[in-house]
Amino acid sequence: MWTTIFISGISLGSFYVLVALGFALIFGVTRNFNLAHGDLLVLAGYSAYWLWKAWAFPFVFTFPFAILVILLVSLGLQRLFSRLRDPIELNSIVLSFGVAILIQNSMLFFFSGNYRLIRVPILSQGIRISGFYVSYSQLTLLLLSLVTIGTLYMLMYRTYLGKALRATIQDKDAAALAGINVAAMGTLSFCIGAVLIGLAGPLYGCIHYLYPSTGHEATLLAITITIFAGVGRLNGILLAGWILGLAESLTVVLCGASWREMVSAVLLLTLLAFRPHGLLGKGEG
Amino acid sequence: MEKIKKYPKNLLFWLFICLWIILLLVTLLLPVETCFAAVIKIGEINPLSGRFAKQGIEIHQGIEVAVAEANAAGGIGGMQIQVVSRDDQSRPDVAISRAEELCSWEKVLAITGGYVDSLVGPIAAVTQKYKIPYVASASLQKELTQHKNPYLFRVSKLQGFVEPLCGILTEQLKPLRLAVLYAATPGSTELAGELEKCLKKQGLKIRMLEKFRPGTPDFTPLIAKLARMKIDVIVSGGFTPDHILFVRQLKENRVTPKAYIGPFGIAYESFIQALGKDADYLYSTCAWNPGITLPGTEEASASFVNHFEKRFNQPPNTTNMHGYTSAKALIVAMQNVLNKQLPLNGENIRHALTLLDLVMPMEHLHFDAQGDPEDYRHVVVQIQKGKLVVVYPPDRASGHAIYPMPSWEQRN
Repeated sequence: MWTTIFISGISLGSFYVLVALGFALIFGVTRNFNLAHGDLLVLAGYSAYWLWKAWAFPFVFTFPFAILVILLVSLGLQRLFSRLRDPIELNSIVLSFGVAILIQNSMLFFFSGNYRLIRVPILSQGIRISGFYVSYSQLTLLLLSLVTIGTLYMLMYRTYLGKALRATIQDKDAAALAGINVAAMGTLSFCIGAVLIGLAGPLYGCIHYLYPSTGHEATLLAITITIFAGVGRLNGILLAGWILGLAESLTVVLCGASWREMVSAVLLLTLLAFRPHGLLGKGEG
Repeated sequence: MEKIKKYPKNLLFWLFICLWIILLLVTLLLPVETCFAAVIKIGEINPLSGRFAKQGIEIHQGIEVAVAEANAAGGIGGMQIQVVSRDDQSRPDVAISRAEELCSWEKVLAITGGYVDSLVGPIAAVTQKYKIPYVASASLQKELTQHKNPYLFRVSKLQGFVEPLCGILTEQLKPLRLAVLYAATPGSTELAGELEKCLKKQGLKIRMLEKFRPGTPDFTPLIAKLARMKIDVIVSGGFTPDHILFVRQLKENRVTPKAYIGPFGIAYESFIQALGKDADYLYSTCAWNPGITLPGTEEASASFVNHFEKRFNQPPNTTNMHGYTSAKALIVAMQNVLNKQLPLNGENIRHALTLLDLVMPMEHLHFDAQGDPEDYRHVVVQIQKGKLVVVYPPDRASGHAIYPMPSWEQRN
């Protein structure tokens, strides 16, 4: 049983990572606190669902479409965010809250209030690895989160563009003084964020379920993971997701399902008390 | 130059004056029509947006059909019924403000609608303050009607779920290791408690009683725990999304209990569509469905289905029927007040509701001293080949339960 719990914790953590990555990147670079993040994720899921259901597209081919839809919406959102003045964090909360309501109601109008699920039969099957059963959905989550984090890591640490993005995350003004086009970095982060949301959305519709108002749960999750990892620390996201996923799974088995959220909250508060800059934060101001 | 500059300003000025004149004419002319058309105003509060939007919209549709039917038949005492509909956004604070608005500003004669106790409770408190009768469409918590609020009536009650569940578990399924999981909501928690009491009385022991948060993203650890304990029957008091996730993860982990019973949120066409073949063999409870109606009400049931399908182009479900029943109760009570040539006010409508005796497709509706329906009782259904089959109680069964359900491997 403990192996099952370990696998489930890691796969849940990987799911958290995929949900949180787009939010963490956009917030890190632009300081825009996007409360519509979860709703964009659900929108990506609905886009994939529509293509899968109405046009019988294979699930894999729904990803490019979902990415395209979220890219367009995110660019529009970025135009709105770019007009905000200081305090950017606070103003972006107000603006994105309105956008979230707009997206939610649009989804309710177009897709009704029924729960939707993208059914991919292969994902509910699995394999035995050294005597332990792992489902393909758990494997997909794990592999996709590793590949996404790996690609993002390569982009951030092995390219000039990544250097510019990291510089913007660390200090916007200093980055601008060094000749980096900070506005362009903002647009770029929105585009990469949109791709990440577009990747996570269809999986959300397949592994979770789709409902117009579930977005706020995903947003809360993304915020928690971002704080847990440390704002602007993308490499900490994977660790944060896995720790949270494992802690939740172990709590269910050892203490009961009703303690799950309590343990996550205690974990987060303890971390904030002892490491206010997140798991991998170095304590700089 | 000056003329050119002044021209647009003058144009705007005259446009502005014209708009005012049009507005004035509209406001003067409109009341001429509405003043002469006497209407009876009833209020409706439902979660039309937010997390309970699906159920709120369904109750709203049921109310719409009941009112349309009554208006088509000449209204109440020759007066048409006007429904003032409000959205509580699935939030108790908004529900309170909407109830205040309907009672004090709109001056409605009675209120109906409402989904889940956390929203129905606040509305009931406001309507009691204004002495306006409130017929709630979907509420279960016992405590709500035990506060001696004489203005609160509801068309559903918790015992309606408990009795058939307890019955099928003790008389037919007789599990050796039973798990009762419940969502952290008032209705689900109370259901688990009442079910435990009933089962204990019948000598059936619950091996695992566990609470979870509705909307939990992963049930795998809980499933591993259930598998380790060799649980053979699971009763889960979660809601539609919880069941979708739970059943999908049962399949993923190749865990097959002998029976999975979800009293809330499974006996719906939308649920069966979402899960497809994986929904087969699941049990649920149901108060009404197009093919499942109180014996003797087949004609009324078919008429409702017909009206509903004409209006919304889709078949109705049990939540629609709850909305329909609550609105119908209110309309009939109002009609009874006028039949007795009494003034149509809150107190008289309340009194008429206490005397109501109405046979509806969902239930034989008459309220007890607390405002609860005396005869509200669900049947236990099992999904078989994508259809709902009544399997309990025996006198209403339309087929036999398939027990134990085949394992996931056997199905593929």
